[in-house]
Amino acid sequence: MPLIERLLAAAMARGGEFAEVYVERSVTTAVVLDEERIKSAQMGLSQGVGVRVVSGAKVGYAYSDDLDEPALLRAAGTAALIAQAQGSERSFRVSRTPAPSYYRVPTPLADVDVARKADLVKRADATARAHDRRVRQVMASYADVTKRVAIANTDGRYSEDTQDLCRLNVTVVAEAKKERRTGTYGGGGRVPFTYFDTFTPEHVAREAARQATATLGAVEAEAGPQTVVLAPGWSGILLHEAVGHGLEADFIRKKTSLFAGKLEQKVASDLVTVIDDGSVANGRGSINVDDEGNPGERKVLIEKGVLRGYMYDSLNAKLMGQRSTGSGRRESFKHMPMPRMTNTYLAPGDDTPGDILKSVKRGLYCANFGGGQVDITNGNFVFEVSEAYQIEDGRLGRPVRGAVLIGVGPEALKNVSRVGCDPMPDPGMGTCGKDGQSVPVGVGLPTLRIDHMTVGGTHVGGAR
Amino acid sequence: MKYMQLAQRIVQRAKKKGAKQAEAFLEVGRNSSVRVRDGQVEDLTEATSKGVGVRVIVRDRLGFAYTSDFEPASVDAIVDRALELALAAAPNKLNGLPSKAELGKPPETGPLFDPAVAALPSEWKIQAALEMERAGKAVDPRIATFESVGAGENVHEVYAASTEGLAAHAEGTYVFLYAVPVASADGQLQTAYWMDYERFLEDLDAPEEVGREAARRAVRMLGARKVKSQRVPVIFDPVMAASFVGSIAGAANGDAAFKKSTIFAPLKGKRLAPADVTIVDDGLLPRGLGTSAFDGEGVATRRTPILEKGVLKGFLYDAFTARKAKARTTGNAARGYSSLPHIGTNNLYLEAGARPPEELIREVKQGLYVTAMLGRGANTVTGDYSRGANGLWIENGELAFPVQEVTVAGNLLQMLKDIDGVGSDLQFRGSVGAPTLRFRELTVAGE
Repeated sequence: MPLIERLLAAAMARGGEFAEVYVERSVTTAVVLDEERIKSAQMGLSQGVGVRVVSGAKVGYAYSDDLDEPALLRAAGTAALIAQAQGSERSFRVSRTPAPSYYRVPTPLADVDVARKADLVKRADATARAHDRRVRQVMASYADVTKRVAIANTDGRYSEDTQDLCRLNVTVVAEAKKERRTGTYGGGGRVPFTYFDTFTPEHVAREAARQATATLGAVEAEAGPQTVVLAPGWSGILLHEAVGHGLEADFIRKKTSLFAGKLEQKVASDLVTVIDDGSVANGRGSINVDDEGNPGERKVLIEKGVLRGYMYDSLNAKLMGQRSTGSGRRESFKHMPMPRMTNTYLAPGDDTPGDILKSVKRGLYCANFGGGQVDITNGNFVFEVSEAYQIEDGRLGRPVRGAVLIGVGPEALKNVSRVGCDPMPDPGMGTCGKDGQSVPVGVGLPTLRIDHMTVGGTHVGGAR
Repeated sequence: MKYMQLAQRIVQRAKKKGAKQAEAFLEVGRNSSVRVRDGQVEDLTEATSKGVGVRVIVRDRLGFAYTSDFEPASVDAIVDRALELALAAAPNKLNGLPSKAELGKPPETGPLFDPAVAALPSEWKIQAALEMERAGKAVDPRIATFESVGAGENVHEVYAASTEGLAAHAEGTYVFLYAVPVASADGQLQTAYWMDYERFLEDLDAPEEVGREAARRAVRMLGARKVKSQRVPVIFDPVMAASFVGSIAGAANGDAAFKKSTIFAPLKGKRLAPADVTIVDDGLLPRGLGTSAFDGEGVATRRTPILEKGVLKGFLYDAFTARKAKARTTGNAARGYSSLPHIGTNNLYLEAGARPPEELIREVKQGLYVTAMLGRGANTVTGDYSRGANGLWIENGELAFPVQEVTVAGNLLQMLKDIDGVGSDLQFRGSVGAPTLRFRELTVAGE
């Protein structure tokens, strides 16, 4: 009997209902450039096995980074203890489940010569510095991982996947008249290394430098409710935070999300359709199979403002009488899977970006976001707007500093008054954290107008 | 001491293969945690983990590799890989491991390992978590459920060796409790987070107390609303004040100071805050969660004042950055085995002041008492500080009603200047501590 089947049998020895073995081997490579030189080149190997046993609503989890058989059997035996029944001698057979293929990376990123990776960050550095005299510092990094996983469970399912992922990132600090601003841009995905032949380091560096210099001389953000227009792409982080997390099934089952019990109810403006799609070709958040071996899929969460569904991992699906939506993800073998997003975006509408801008007499244009956070229970979210401009009479005005958007998810969605027809995926920069676990995600949004959004800033009322 | 032998064998192999300097940083540990729900165990996790990171200097170039696999062939391969990788990096004369002199003499830390934590049975954690849940629910019928409530512990060891004479070993424990209840009324849900982390079991708050405090904090947020945008006095409770202190330490990062990418860079020796503001990083705080005899590259830790009586005394350094900035390392190299050292904090805190926290509130006519925040906080390059805030509105010196969906914003330098009250209630919930802190005026943005 193969070891993985023996582990399943050991995991079920105390009479659990379900057991799963997750095997991972990840090779990471990173190159970091700072102060005009490659500061370090590094790589790492992380491997281990996580064993999960489910007994009713109870879960036992144990992991080991020792791969010898006694250590693995010990881990399986530890996880088994969650079930308290008498000994059982059942055996389990697994067979390979076919999986789709949404990303093909012919040469694993781990096998690409590190000198080529170093070359990317050097070219980025040179371009950013040449872009503008006000550029003072450039930090560039390239990182990739080639992660191989195998998942077997007592339903007889066995899946394997190779998940390559890379990202080039450039941060620029510009200075003028003692004022310093930063700009950050980057991207990548589950793509072959040749992706950077078209998504060039020069392009990434110019955009980071543009952001840093464009916001020099910014005025203080005006505090209070305003009409805001979100730029397409990375602004999707707002959707991810404000809505996405609240639709994850664990929060729904525990009734700790304000979207619990609202299925088929109107939760957003008619213009809003939200989709989570694990099958986007080469997407940063794409998965052939999730970390429970279920295929990645496309699911409509909100359709024309009506809540249609939640994102389920297999445990919450079972406890709630639903089926898994391929949303069970985990950071590594050291973690239990839980419902997570993959690539989450808002479907395009009818308005041109130009018309949306023209429709706003006075407001704030949010070109780029730093990061955000949500309290899924009360729905409060915040976003740092790293590049923003005043809108006056339908035109972009002066850059604005220190703006933060704050709101309650469903209220913000109800106030969506225009949705652009422009393409909306982000360049592949997002990492989502939940319960201390990080997973790569994609986000996306067309140009969007939201009315009555609270803008946090330092300037209160009246003329400047 | 087989792990120390392994660390030393790695260093020797690197040296033999051509490294001018080499260092191995090895960690082993085990952890266990439990969560409960509705009087039952929800999940139980047990694990062991280990790994080693190898840092080499070859021809003034830096290479780094790590592995969680201790099989001899795998370890040898990772050493060779680190050496190869170094060749992809640029030479820098400043690259180098801490010298014998920089490493210093290992200071006395007092005990950091609690045998009671190391032997903590699952049953204790289950009971503790159940007690938190029970006590929390008993606080108020509006406590509807818990987002999560749990307990756990960690036992860890570090072995570090280098060609420069480093041969250090440390071991420690920590134990934790946390509760995240959800309160519900009139269609509104509110949550709060309360926890305790300690090295020693006997220092840990009673589980009932953690559960009750979490529940009290959630219930008092029910009915929260926005307020008008205005500039008012703002008070941070000790947990929020600790996160502000974290931003100050970020601004005092020696690497950022060298690159002039922190607003603190030109201000060493200048008065930034009133005289009752002293912020310290102390690697030797007795029983501290962040206490250790040596930092992530083996350098002896110490007490480093950042702000002393309101004056910026200096920056935090690791060995490389210190060399670059012509300063001395302060023993602030933070790392796990899978990363190169970077500048971090040990035990970071703002010293207690003289004012009872109730008094600080009582003196405010209209203002905001902040108990939770969302978002990253300070941009230390620009000093902009802007975060989503939840809390309680202060009216005529009393906590009047709950507030949400507002932001508090200011500038780090102005905020420091504007501190007009330091509470006497210094507390640690983890390795960063602070007392209640009052700011004369911040922008609260809402309606």
